[in-house]
Amino acid sequence: MVQNYVFPATVSEAVTFLSTNRGKARIIAGGTDLMLELQDGKNTCDVLVDLTQIAELKNITEENGYIRIGASVTHAQASKSDLILKHAPALAQACRKVGSLQIRNMGTIIGNIVTGNPAADAAVALAALETTAEVTTLEGIQTMPLEDMYAGVCLSCIDSCCQVVTHVKFPVKKKNQGSAYLRMEQRKALALPMLNVSAMVSLSGDTFEWARLIVAPVGAGPQHALDAEEFLKGAAVSDATIVEAGKLARNQAMFRSSAIRGSKEYRRGVLPVFVERVLHAAVEDARKA
Amino acid sequence: MSQFEYVGKSVLRRDGVDKTTGRGLFTTDMFLPGMLFAKVLRSPHPHARIVSIDTSEAEKLPGVKAVMSHKNGPKNLFNASVPMFLTIPQLERVLDQYLFDDVVRYVGDEVAAVAATSEAIAAKALELIKVEYEILPAVFDPLEAMKPEAPELHAGKGCTPEGKNIPGEIVKIPYHDVEKGLAESDVIIEETYKLPVQKQVQMETQAAVAQVDGNGDVTVWSTSQTPHPSRAILGKIFNIAASKIRVLAPPYVGGGFGVRIGLSAKAEPIAMGLALLAKKPVKLVYTRKEDFIASDTRHPGYITIKLGAKKDGTFQALDMKSVLGTGAYCSFGAELPGVCGAMTLAIYRIPHQRYHGHSVYTNTTSCGAMRGFGNPQGNYAMEQTVDLMAEKLGIDPLELRRKNIMKAGEPWCLPYACGTTELAECMRQGAESIGWDRRGTFNKPGSTTLRGLGMAVGTHVSNAWPFCVDYDNAYVTIQPDGSAHVASGVPDIGTGTSTSLVQIAAETLGLDMEHISLTYGDTLGTPFDIGSHASRTCYAAGTAIKAAAEDARRQVLEYAAGFFNIAPEHLQIHKGVITPVTSSMDECSGSGLCQLEEVKEGKGNTVTLEELSYHAHVRNKQFIGVGRIVPPNAPPWHACFADVEVDTRTGQVRVIKLAAAHDVGRAINPMIVEGQIEGGAAQGIGYALSEEITYNDKGRQQQYSMHNYMLPTAEDMPEIHSIIVESSDPTGPFGAKGAGECSLVCPASAIANAVANATGHRFKEIPMTPERVFKALNS
Amino acid sequence: MTNQTISFSLNGEIVEIAVSPSEMLLDILREKMHLTGTKRGCGKGECGACTIIFNGKAMNACLIPAMRAKGADIQTIEGVESAHGLHPLQQSFIETGAVQCGFCTPGMIMSAKALLDKNKSPSKDQIREAVSGNICRCTGYVKIEEAVEDAAVRLRASAVKGGDL
Repeated sequence: MVQNYVFPATVSEAVTFLSTNRGKARIIAGGTDLMLELQDGKNTCDVLVDLTQIAELKNITEENGYIRIGASVTHAQASKSDLILKHAPALAQACRKVGSLQIRNMGTIIGNIVTGNPAADAAVALAALETTAEVTTLEGIQTMPLEDMYAGVCLSCIDSCCQVVTHVKFPVKKKNQGSAYLRMEQRKALALPMLNVSAMVSLSGDTFEWARLIVAPVGAGPQHALDAEEFLKGAAVSDATIVEAGKLARNQAMFRSSAIRGSKEYRRGVLPVFVERVLHAAVEDARKA
Repeated sequence: MSQFEYVGKSVLRRDGVDKTTGRGLFTTDMFLPGMLFAKVLRSPHPHARIVSIDTSEAEKLPGVKAVMSHKNGPKNLFNASVPMFLTIPQLERVLDQYLFDDVVRYVGDEVAAVAATSEAIAAKALELIKVEYEILPAVFDPLEAMKPEAPELHAGKGCTPEGKNIPGEIVKIPYHDVEKGLAESDVIIEETYKLPVQKQVQMETQAAVAQVDGNGDVTVWSTSQTPHPSRAILGKIFNIAASKIRVLAPPYVGGGFGVRIGLSAKAEPIAMGLALLAKKPVKLVYTRKEDFIASDTRHPGYITIKLGAKKDGTFQALDMKSVLGTGAYCSFGAELPGVCGAMTLAIYRIPHQRYHGHSVYTNTTSCGAMRGFGNPQGNYAMEQTVDLMAEKLGIDPLELRRKNIMKAGEPWCLPYACGTTELAECMRQGAESIGWDRRGTFNKPGSTTLRGLGMAVGTHVSNAWPFCVDYDNAYVTIQPDGSAHVASGVPDIGTGTSTSLVQIAAETLGLDMEHISLTYGDTLGTPFDIGSHASRTCYAAGTAIKAAAEDARRQVLEYAAGFFNIAPEHLQIHKGVITPVTSSMDECSGSGLCQLEEVKEGKGNTVTLEELSYHAHVRNKQFIGVGRIVPPNAPPWHACFADVEVDTRTGQVRVIKLAAAHDVGRAINPMIVEGQIEGGAAQGIGYALSEEITYNDKGRQQQYSMHNYMLPTAEDMPEIHSIIVESSDPTGPFGAKGAGECSLVCPASAIANAVANATGHRFKEIPMTPERVFKALNS
Repeated sequence: MTNQTISFSLNGEIVEIAVSPSEMLLDILREKMHLTGTKRGCGKGECGACTIIFNGKAMNACLIPAMRAKGADIQTIEGVESAHGLHPLQQSFIETGAVQCGFCTPGMIMSAKALLDKNKSPSKDQIREAVSGNICRCTGYVKIEEAVEDAAVRLRASAVKGGDL
């Protein structure tokens, strides 16, 4: 049962709280997942360390060629941010799909990663954007690629009892680059995705310089569709290559069957369609600028 | 266009301010001094015997004031739904539940309950209760449960000897000679359909607050749709006279859709039992998960339709069978199969028909009433088959239906007349709204997004007769100040009856609505009324209120007649003023309104009801009208048209538009009726495309939260065009018929027919989830 | 477990209340402050019945740790009506027939108010987004969306007239 609830004014204070409580204190940012886990007994802690009063964590900024997002930035904020809409439409689209407006007003992008859910909307979008996270402990700040933050399915590498993910960042979008996000869902609001995909492409004329293609939930954390990405490198931007990429993504995708979120046969069956559509959307975004 | 003052007008709801300001109290808002909080321990097994149960540790926990289990609970068999009191005398009631039993029959079945000073302590106490179970074999499908090797769920409690695990009896509706009809048919189509478990998901979970006073009199605030029958059931559970029990809504109820016709699952008796033990008020509020797993769902099952027709499309024969899962306890399982069959047989003029249907016990959550009550299930099966027949015969489905639908005055299998039907007009308007002419013109070859139009028609009832006991009583009393007080035992579960019933009273009395108060939903101040279910409240309670108001009005005019010196039938009351029917309002000493003495002296001919009532009051007289009615029944009719788009690559079905045209007789309050049509349409879309509860092989419900039970959100809604086509039924108050349930009968049928039109594939199983559609189109 | 006394603005007035670190804002509002207008439909942020406006944004009170209310500006349904009478949203909900059982109504009105407070000319899509986190099982959402549009019209008209709402 939570005995104490504190509001550090700085990251340093937050980290100190964690350290003094020796594993019994835990970070809370939005809390839309954490509060339910505490109520259900899936998680316990004695102290909650609330980040929402720390000024430096509330912003989305452009600095040194990166878009940087603080730990208190909510899905609602991101989905409407000019910077995100410009540099990372995939992320804006993904954040827009989370839960409901009430949840989006409270839940955070970084929280979406730290829950460890492989199909978390924002995380799937970020995975296509070459995202790194800044993680602070008493020992200092460490930078870690998004891919390294997943220890297993719904298991984060981040220990919120001693680490604070303060920011995530990804490179600003360059000319001829574009991104997009799509999910398959059973209804249009208040639903987790059955599967989701995100893509970022870099075009050179009518050729893919490279493409990043993310598929979930097919493992621990959002996964790169490696064969498809390899295939698209240097390939022509055409319906045929995009269809092929969809097939390659499907062949590598290891879905499990879920009684609620779709059988593996269904998810494998429709994955190519979503891959095609997200690639087309990313290409269109790249050609817009 | 209405020739009435109040009836037929979209009068604003009288509970609107309460509900939009947060003032309105619901059961879950109730708070009483000294109140305890209850929590229920539920079975994790689908079928088990309780070998031992030890509540001693729980009882010792500080803050715990009462614990109940089968060891100290009441031992009277009951049925938590109204069949306990509303089963017609020709049939045996099925009573198959104890408050706490030593056998549990579904995951979620009640094992014990605790009342404590806080919810947290009560929850902690549950963890301290030690239960030893002996696991018994379980069965989850109704067809499996009928097999000889299946476990028996309720030996000796009213199952028919005609089959295994069948509560009540098998419903058989013979109508002339179906074999002959089939023999005379040129084309016969026979198909079997599988219908899912749907859940009401009303916004306020099951709840009750029970308080016992010093004399042992009990008050129960509850979410029940039927306070009077619920009071009677509680009396029988605890062997307490009903006169010592009061059941009321506080006054608002957060929805029902059938889930609480009778008790609110077991909220009332558990709260009451704990209150009797603890001698303190007890509040029990079901969590959303408990509401999902431990309150009645819709009946799933298998329905077979065999339809025979002549080459020219004339229907000759309909042979219908149903096997419906009723879950672990019977609830409405004996009545519902009858409604399923009767409502399906009643849609078309078919000279030879037969229905054979029944429920079967399974170790799953009990199934009971949900809006439509078997009709949506039967309608789905029938309307798919009618479309198949249309395809086979090469006749447009709209034409085929027009040719065969029931007409007023025609014979049918129901024991009341088909008095009115405007179904043909509903079909005409619905077809026009959806653009039926465009059917078949949408899809280009090679397109992966396919569009189609489909339709369905149906009927329903205006109350529960003859399937259940059904009658109503009401009082109308005129107060000394000329205002009126109406007492009716029905609650308002959200359908606006606390407004529309007052419209009926106002229209009948000739009094402004502001001068009429209504006591409702409280057994203390109202005569017995069945309650709010079966689309009956406006029709049946309205008829009783109209009768009571007419009685009061007659007394008023008889009293007045002496002063006007004309027969009472030549007097009228209009906006609270009594005046002869034929005259205009004569001026009278300034105000235009006269004293009774002036009227007697011939000096004027208008007097207010206020003046008259006070005149009577000081001469020791009050006008009290009583209405006691047994309602007849009348069929509302509805036609639904759907415009859908199917993404064949993902299986997603998008409804573009739904046109729902309803003949509800006279719409007492058109805005309220539209609200019913739209709300039912949304539930119908869910039934068609996304709502279902499935059980895993351990009997565990897979969908038990708002999160994974896929009912539609605002973002999922298409354009809905609700169309009211009025008829005037001679049996209903001001011509009204039932309006609450029809709206959920046809939408799924229409959507499936539209999907078939779009894709060429007919779904014999719903919901048409993306996965099912994808599999069907891509295999 | 140590209760802490926190203060915050509730419907325009500063209030002070003792809360425990494990409590949620919904419990404080309903059980401690007896403001029962905000409803519990699921307790898990999945239905929107408990929607309140928290620092200008619609949120589910069942998910907000009570401690976070410290220093916040919180509006509940009880604060929507003013001394001048019903808010246009309340008026519209009643007149458009958007109220049936009424259990979702407070949450719906708060979601709509959070939108209209910031944007008096919302598009249909924006209205739909604002209420999509609120489940209604009675109305099919049709008249609710109409009511929000109608309220927006009233608010714009009142703004033109220089009305103070």
